[in-house]
Amino acid sequence: MKELMLTPKKLPDLPLEAEAITPDSVAGKTLKEVKSLPVYVGNTVQKLGDYFDVKGETAETPSDQLVAIQGECGNVKYIGAGMTAGRLIVEGCVGMHAGAEMEGGELSITGSASNWAGAEMKGGLLRIQGDAGHQLGAAYRGSPEGMTGGVIVVGGDVGLEAGAFMRRGMLIIQGDADSFLGVHMNGGEIFVFGNVARRLGAEAKGNGGFIACFGGVESILPTYVYDTTFRPDFLKLYLRQLRDQLGVEAAGEYLDASFRRYRGDIAVGGTAEILIAEP
Amino acid sequence: MSFMLNGVGIEDTFAEGFGMWGARIIITAKNRKWANIAAREMTGFATSVIACDCEAGIEREVPPEETPDGRPGVSVMVFGFSKKRLSASMLSRIGQCVLTCPTTAIFNGILEEEADDMLDVGASLRFFGDGYQVKMRMGDGWGERQRFWRIPVMEGEFLAEAKFGAVRAVAGGNFLVMGESEDATLEASERAVEAIREVPGVIAPFPGGICRSGSKVGSTYAFLKASTNTPFCPSIKHTSPDSQVPAGCNSVLEVILNGLDEPSVMKAMASGIKAATEVEGVKWVTAVNFGGKLGKFRMGLKDALGVK
Repeated sequence: MKELMLTPKKLPDLPLEAEAITPDSVAGKTLKEVKSLPVYVGNTVQKLGDYFDVKGETAETPSDQLVAIQGECGNVKYIGAGMTAGRLIVEGCVGMHAGAEMEGGELSITGSASNWAGAEMKGGLLRIQGDAGHQLGAAYRGSPEGMTGGVIVVGGDVGLEAGAFMRRGMLIIQGDADSFLGVHMNGGEIFVFGNVARRLGAEAKGNGGFIACFGGVESILPTYVYDTTFRPDFLKLYLRQLRDQLGVEAAGEYLDASFRRYRGDIAVGGTAEILIAEP
Repeated sequence: MSFMLNGVGIEDTFAEGFGMWGARIIITAKNRKWANIAAREMTGFATSVIACDCEAGIEREVPPEETPDGRPGVSVMVFGFSKKRLSASMLSRIGQCVLTCPTTAIFNGILEEEADDMLDVGASLRFFGDGYQVKMRMGDGWGERQRFWRIPVMEGEFLAEAKFGAVRAVAGGNFLVMGESEDATLEASERAVEAIREVPGVIAPFPGGICRSGSKVGSTYAFLKASTNTPFCPSIKHTSPDSQVPAGCNSVLEVILNGLDEPSVMKAMASGIKAATEVEGVKWVTAVNFGGKLGKFRMGLKDALGVK
């Protein structure tokens, strides 16, 4: 894998929109061409090289390309958006829409991510070691489906409406989740190891979708019906995958746990599940 | 023509195998006891397609670290003459013997990339859920894509993988162990089966892996399509005109093998024969064939044992 290093220079006060920072955009280009890739500041088009030092090598194909950003990019939007292959590592925080609509490869952020990270993600792996903002992996307004594939792993807390309109894929939150987690979800799997705020799963339809809560839930909507307390075998498969393939060590503690099973949201005729680990 | 192995005569002949479709099912359960109970039930009455709907057997016990859900498992293999019949047998046997067995779950044991076709066994079983079954997805857009069905049952849930890989397999691998006494022949055959169990992808579907009543095609009775293998019955070796039981042999047992491919069956035959010949009192080993009329696989004992 060939490594291209980007180091932020003085970033503008306005947000910088840098969809060009993906393995797909830089693979097959010379360093000069990479520096000339367009970025957007307000209503002006600028060059990537105006804001980042660019060093290293480019690969022939995105799958062989590693892009490493060394420095804070909290005001840089769309990092890794739409990427299909390769690896992108950010040593610091990122702005809005990081990894939005990504289809493959791995985007790893050592800091926190702002709103809309992984929005409408289709595939690949998005790791955020810090916190994530609102609408993590959600559908953009007016869109019928949010995540349709891929995995998002967040080390810290997440904001409102994470996993909204989720259809497929996995969302793993190791910290707390704010309100309306999985609102309108119609498939997909959400795992939360911290506390979950109220109104999770509101208007969720089902289609095999569930929210597994390991650290407690503030309240359950009255439109979710308690079914039973049991030890679901199917959850072992996910928990082992989380522990063994995604490095979520806490998952291993719940392999033999019992869960309270709620089904809803009956307000919309839904059959989604909320599974809450027994203390 | 024959050759010697461990002082036992081996006839230079071949086992005649024929094509079947094979599948592998990993049954897991809360503990080994229940996994084995389910596997034994599922593989019952499945010795030969002469009178059974399929041929099935236990391949091996699978340790928890190798099963998808981390529980103790048993690998079961099922063989049928066609994909349709194999699928029907799997469906009825899983439905009656595994779905009903406490704590079990089933997983596909042949990866899609290694399979010749995928059978919708779990997807058919799901209807038992009467509308309350839940589709379970894994690996969408990341990792290995898998599909399962969660079927509500009185105990809790039955988890079944949606599709099972099926391959064009080989049935009819065999060898006959002939000894001077019943005890020696049985012990040799038991050791052969123990050795065969170490070979992946092979089962010996008869009781304990051993068949004492090998059959020949047809009989003197018009209504009977198979009858006792008179050439290899020691008790009539001097009264049956076509007896092939050598002098000094008073008991014959047959080990019959099905496998996912020909090399696996050959390897298992070799392991079994080597183990059998280490038992004192074994005099002769041969194999059953029908001159090439039964199937396309000719698994020579010399080839299997690597003898030139």
